[in-house]
Amino acid sequence: MRINTTKLKNLRNLLKKNKLEGLIITDFTDTKYFLGDFFHEDESVLLITLKQIIVFSRSLYENSFKSKYKEALFISEDKNRPAALVKEAKKLNLKKLAFDENKELYSAGKLYLKAGFKESSSLISLLRTTKTEEELKLMRKATQISMQAYKNIQKYVKVGITEIELKRKLEDEMNRLGGQGYSFELMVSFGANTANPHHLCDNTKLTNNTAVLFDWGAKYQEYCADMTRCFWFGPKAPKEYKTILSIVKYAHDEVVKKAKIKMSGAQIDNISRSIIEKAGYGKYFTHRTGHGIGMQDHELSDISQINEDKILENYCFSVEPGIYLEGKYGVRWEDCFYMTKRGIKQIK
Amino acid sequence: MNEKLKQFQKLLKKENIQAFCVLDNDSIRYLTDFFFYSSGDAYLLITQTKAYCFTKKMYAGDLKRKAPYLTLVDSLDIEDVCKKASKFKNKAFDSTLAPYIQGTTLAESGFKTLPNFLEQAQDVKTQSELKLITKACHISASAFKIFQKQLKAGMTEKQGAALLESIMQKLGGQGLAFDTILAFGENTANPHHHNSDRKLKQNEPVLVDFGCRYKGYCSDITRSWWYGSKVSKEWQKLFDLMKDTHDYCATLAKDKVKATTLDNAARDFMDKAGSYSKAFIHSLGHGLGLKIHQKPYLSPKSQDLLKNNSVFTIEPGVYYDGKFGIRYEDTFVLTPKGAKILTK
Repeated sequence: MRINTTKLKNLRNLLKKNKLEGLIITDFTDTKYFLGDFFHEDESVLLITLKQIIVFSRSLYENSFKSKYKEALFISEDKNRPAALVKEAKKLNLKKLAFDENKELYSAGKLYLKAGFKESSSLISLLRTTKTEEELKLMRKATQISMQAYKNIQKYVKVGITEIELKRKLEDEMNRLGGQGYSFELMVSFGANTANPHHLCDNTKLTNNTAVLFDWGAKYQEYCADMTRCFWFGPKAPKEYKTILSIVKYAHDEVVKKAKIKMSGAQIDNISRSIIEKAGYGKYFTHRTGHGIGMQDHELSDISQINEDKILENYCFSVEPGIYLEGKYGVRWEDCFYMTKRGIKQIK
Repeated sequence: MNEKLKQFQKLLKKENIQAFCVLDNDSIRYLTDFFFYSSGDAYLLITQTKAYCFTKKMYAGDLKRKAPYLTLVDSLDIEDVCKKASKFKNKAFDSTLAPYIQGTTLAESGFKTLPNFLEQAQDVKTQSELKLITKACHISASAFKIFQKQLKAGMTEKQGAALLESIMQKLGGQGLAFDTILAFGENTANPHHHNSDRKLKQNEPVLVDFGCRYKGYCSDITRSWWYGSKVSKEWQKLFDLMKDTHDYCATLAKDKVKATTLDNAARDFMDKAGSYSKAFIHSLGHGLGLKIHQKPYLSPKSQDLLKNNSVFTIEPGVYYDGKFGIRYEDTFVLTPKGAKILTK
């Protein structure tokens, strides 16, 4: 297997720009970003320099790693991988190395500082924010699987089924269609549970005339889909439910129309927030408009009040305004998008 | 208040720590049974009598219902944690679980670093934790019995793994403890094989390493068997040896016995049968709970002790590249009467 050359090239350009000789990568997803699915969590440390890729991991993997990745150097270390890295860097006379202050553990960070390396903030996260065409393709595939599965399981939405049972139907269907795991713990909520934006599925049964909300997404080759749909089950939808659902859909669609390249996350958040505020439901919109997405369902490029950073080309994020009336019901409408020179485009 | 949080506050008293800051999601879930969506969504500051939870507004409603004993603070600024703790002198955080950037702020504000403190605290399980682990183990073990009958020649490793996973879900499992490993034939020789599209054939070995979760708690089992009636003699001999090693090691587990004792004993036992320990290329076992790997580690260099009510695996295995591998694993709880198998 080849380590993705586009991603490597982009990282090395970033290293040169920051006058670095190499970067220490500990975060599990960051490791997978370069190597694909090989190690389990907390089992490897990766050092990518301008010339080399060095992997520090359990001796158990030595043979299978070497036969799979020819271009990387494997160093067996079962106990203290940061210490082994410091030793190797000394041997190679590498000094200008950096570690990620947001992702590195305090104990390892201290060791690296002592060795003369320095903190950097979010280099890989930044790199991961801009998606390559290949990554977009995988995200589209994940989204298609998720949406098709949702359509296929609508026949099970019947009085008496529990949230957990319905969630399982959705999971099984996504897997059947080629999904490879879930972007997050899927959410199927009935009734007042829909008013909790992060409800955990339980044994609540579906009854007639109840709010229903699905927030779900399959993974495909490590890339996430994320979407939310909600509807009233039964003929007697309360007037207020219909009202808040149309406000949220309108807020969602206005973001799609008005979000432009180089707007900040806060500016885009404002498009939907101001609509919901004007409608009088501002304090019931208790979360951000969206979050970055890629290999993880929450990444940088937040669409929130506190993100002043510009949203640039091929940044991917969700747009998911919501209104939650505690004790009654809640609504949210969500799709994922990527930024282009001509506005945002749905990943579908 | 949550039983585990109380146990943790007792530990703080014993260690004379007035305040402890918890930053990682797994430990927060352990102490509160509350599931935060992603790491960084909450911090805890635990004193000997109180527990502050720094988090986002959107969690407030759910937290008030499910964890009313937490004092909520609407902030995720680590400086606010420092301010709240400013009156305490003896305060600490776990340097092996804290991100560097927040750890630095805490350290500058007088927090001491205590490596591995939280993992140590999770070593001995409470009765309610044991119930959940037992349930997760029962689901996995029952699922295996169904799976073994349904696995047929012609199925791929990926299809077989999906089948087992869906049986576990049907029996009440809530997600996976880790990605299921299902290996056929020569692939069994790789202890951490990635499932492929290789199909199962008649008369070859199968190895499956799997476990579901129940309310976050893990189970872990490995089974190896020969598919078909023409069992290789060499395979059978080694299978029996692994099973015997597993059973023998389990009898050695006692309160306050060193974890290395069991790992060493496994290697000696294999060598008495004919220097097989060279093919035993991993450690004998590991603790588990909310995380699939935690203390006590049953490895050659471990410094851990086994304790009553700790939960761990015993999983001897031998691997012959290009031929086959065998592993036999159960999850155990240590009781005053000895180690008890949970995965059956």
